Amino acid sequence: MKKLADIGFLLCLGAVLLAIPIRTLTHSAKNTVTYYENRTLAAVPTCTEENFWSGDYFSDWETWYSDHVPGRTTLLTRSTAIQMDVLKRPVVNGVIADADVLLPFQGYKTWDVSTYKKKAAPVADGFAALAEDIQSYGGQFWFVGMPEQSNYFWDKYPDGMDSRRWNALAADETFYQALGERDVNWLDMGAVYAAQGRPSDYYSSVDHHFTYYGAFAAYQAILDRINTDSGLNLPILGKNDLDFQTLPNPYLGSRSRKLYNLWPNDEHAVLGILKNPIPFTRTDNGTQVSPSVYVIPENDTRLTTYDLYMGGDKAETIIQTNRPDLPDALIFGDSFTNALETMFYTSFDETRSLDLRHYTEKSLREYLETYHPQVVICVCNDTFFYTNTGNMNVWDR
Amino acid sequence: MVFSSMIFLFAFLPALLVCYFLLPGRLRSVRNGVLLVFSLAFYAWGGPKLLWLMLASIAVNYCGGLLCAPGRTHRKLAVGAVVVANLLLLGYFKYTNFLFENLQFLGLPVTVPGVVLPIGISFFTFQGMSYVLDVYRGDAQREKNPLRVALYVALFPQLVAGPIVRYTTVAGEIRSRNESISEAGAGAVRFCFGLAKKMLLANALGQIADAAFSAGSLLTTSMAWLGALAYTGQIYFDFSGYSDMAIGLGRIFGFHFLENFNYPYVSRSATEFWRRWHISLSTWFRDYVYIPLGGSRCSRWKQVRNILIVWMLTGMWHGAAWNFILWGLYYALLLLGERYVWGEFMERLPAPIRHLYAMTAVVLGWVLFRAESLGTVGTMAAALFGAAPGGLWSGETVYYLSEFRWELLVAIPAALPMKIWLENVLKRRTANGSTAASAALVLLPRALALGLFALSFLQLLSSSFNPFIYFRF
Repeated sequence: MKKLADIGFLLCLGAVLLAIPIRTLTHSAKNTVTYYENRTLAAVPTCTEENFWSGDYFSDWETWYSDHVPGRTTLLTRSTAIQMDVLKRPVVNGVIADADVLLPFQGYKTWDVSTYKKKAAPVADGFAALAEDIQSYGGQFWFVGMPEQSNYFWDKYPDGMDSRRWNALAADETFYQALGERDVNWLDMGAVYAAQGRPSDYYSSVDHHFTYYGAFAAYQAILDRINTDSGLNLPILGKNDLDFQTLPNPYLGSRSRKLYNLWPNDEHAVLGILKNPIPFTRTDNGTQVSPSVYVIPENDTRLTTYDLYMGGDKAETIIQTNRPDLPDALIFGDSFTNALETMFYTSFDETRSLDLRHYTEKSLREYLETYHPQVVICVCNDTFFYTNTGNMNVWDR
Repeated sequence: MVFSSMIFLFAFLPALLVCYFLLPGRLRSVRNGVLLVFSLAFYAWGGPKLLWLMLASIAVNYCGGLLCAPGRTHRKLAVGAVVVANLLLLGYFKYTNFLFENLQFLGLPVTVPGVVLPIGISFFTFQGMSYVLDVYRGDAQREKNPLRVALYVALFPQLVAGPIVRYTTVAGEIRSRNESISEAGAGAVRFCFGLAKKMLLANALGQIADAAFSAGSLLTTSMAWLGALAYTGQIYFDFSGYSDMAIGLGRIFGFHFLENFNYPYVSRSATEFWRRWHISLSTWFRDYVYIPLGGSRCSRWKQVRNILIVWMLTGMWHGAAWNFILWGLYYALLLLGERYVWGEFMERLPAPIRHLYAMTAVVLGWVLFRAESLGTVGTMAAALFGAAPGGLWSGETVYYLSEFRWELLVAIPAALPMKIWLENVLKRRTANGSTAASAALVLLPRALALGLFALSFLQLLSSSFNPFIYFRF
């Protein structure tokens, strides 16, 4: 019996040890992206003299293998389910799974808030130079800071979990102060939302962005501020101008995505349809595309994501409404701009939007010199304030 | 390469098994050649740049073996030269940076050269030296075939993290061994259990320990204790898991390495702990340093000197840092205390108190071992005894207790000789005619091994937190 058991055991183990490499070799080319991880799978490593001798070439193979194991997504989904439902871990894949909303686990760190002032200075200097440049041709600039979802729902962190509220407050305050000291117009949407009672439907429970309602409130606050500061008297959409529609599709947020959409929730995306549509043309990265600001799934059962708004991050989008009596605008920033763009174009003749993380054709300075938009807005979430790349690196570009 | 990696489990190992077992058993030297080639590739996978170093070490020790054998002229000189060469190799790669850092600390205008520590150098250097010393003493035959010496030193299961295999243990099996289904089955079961220790327990406990040892001003007394206990578990499951995998792999290929751990956390004294922990290292120091110095068959002061030397070297072997040296001396003091001061008194105490004493000593020892600076040692030690910068209790402790409650719960029985107890119960029942017990005795370990392998694979796939502690040595 022992020998039979040994043979059976070795056959089972041997079959797994052989099947996995064979299946990996035969199926590795089929998948190039991993949907739930929202990234490209590792490519076959390229050998160079340097990476061969350093050993990096070999460690790259480990990454490649881990990415291309057959049934990887299914296995990782099962693993996540075990962590969540069987082991009942409070934090799974970096997401706090046992709260009212999905929040990132922030760890337990100390932060030296005194360093923020030093870090804020060069970023704010860039924005000051940008604002001066825009003023030189008669335009105006505003910086709009959006609270990221974890900072918006700071009080929803379970007891014992660090929301890093004190850190975010200090970081935001220092950054806005630095902008103010340099006479850069800024708008803290965190304060605006707080004045409105921080409604829970402004932010997604499963994604790090706001919802359409939060975006709509931001749009109104930004336009109000622009009109007050500039006297431009731009038209602003009111609630009555829009028909708010809830999509029937299940909504997959960036946080629920990390949990392989296993976290039970009934959130649905909302979009606003203009009761009196404004005709427009849309150009993405130099190519004219269909005049729409939403990308709605083909059927009601397919998952929808924040990419619903404007079709996700684009390097450059131009929306022209052919209303020369209105000024032109440029809005640049992170993905928080996407939902805002679905409304912004209604207040301008031409609305250009850039995501400087992806746009490489011209520097921002050259772009402004070419188009001279009268209204320039940077929208950025507060977790990016202290980065000096992408949309926060405005003057080197 | 590490055992708990996709490349090892699903590329290296299956390729080796196919290449090795497709060859007929009578072609022993060809099978050995396959093992050697794969072993060198295993080592080179981490960066072929330093492969020459291991090859040089093999060459030196091979020549040393030939020159030191009984009957050779100038063999004393040869053995001295080979030992010095090994120590210089180890000293340069492991201790140069440490030496220069200390010179710099003393104010001398020197630059730390930044010598890269080759993986497993402490293990293969000690193995090479033991071969030469055993040949010199006449305990082992000199090996004329350099490939056999190379296979002994480079054999991949024990190459980078031990156990330190003596030449006498495997010399016969390098020439002639019997690979069988029952040996392969037992080896594979052992490998799966070792992999699970590493992937399912050590890595999880390591996250708690890392958090505690890097908490700085947020450290609380509760977190300090949780972190120290977690590290106590991590280092055991990490290292004994690796030894299990090494011993298991060895058995698959017909080798029988000696046990490296014998449930050290059941010890009732520091002396007993070191009879059960990293047995291959403590016996190495005993046989090649302690006994040649006179061991315990000399005056009391010489005994004290010998113990201090051996334990300072043991500390230094683990790493080129003051905390490792202090850790070694800490055990020297404990062992001296148990031998000359409180040992007899402890013997009269009830077993649970002796166990508590031993475990407290061991846990405090691991704090010394794990801390990356003397400052961290001070912070952790103060926190353990109530003077923590963050107070007594924190949400962080609650989080880690909750997040890793399963691992913490499983770690306790897993560190005890549950397997032996269970095996004995089943054997007794089998002897009394129970067929269920007989079936359980055969099927349970294999079924459990497959289940643990599947869980380890899942964990490997979903986790990037995968460092092996003993790769540092």
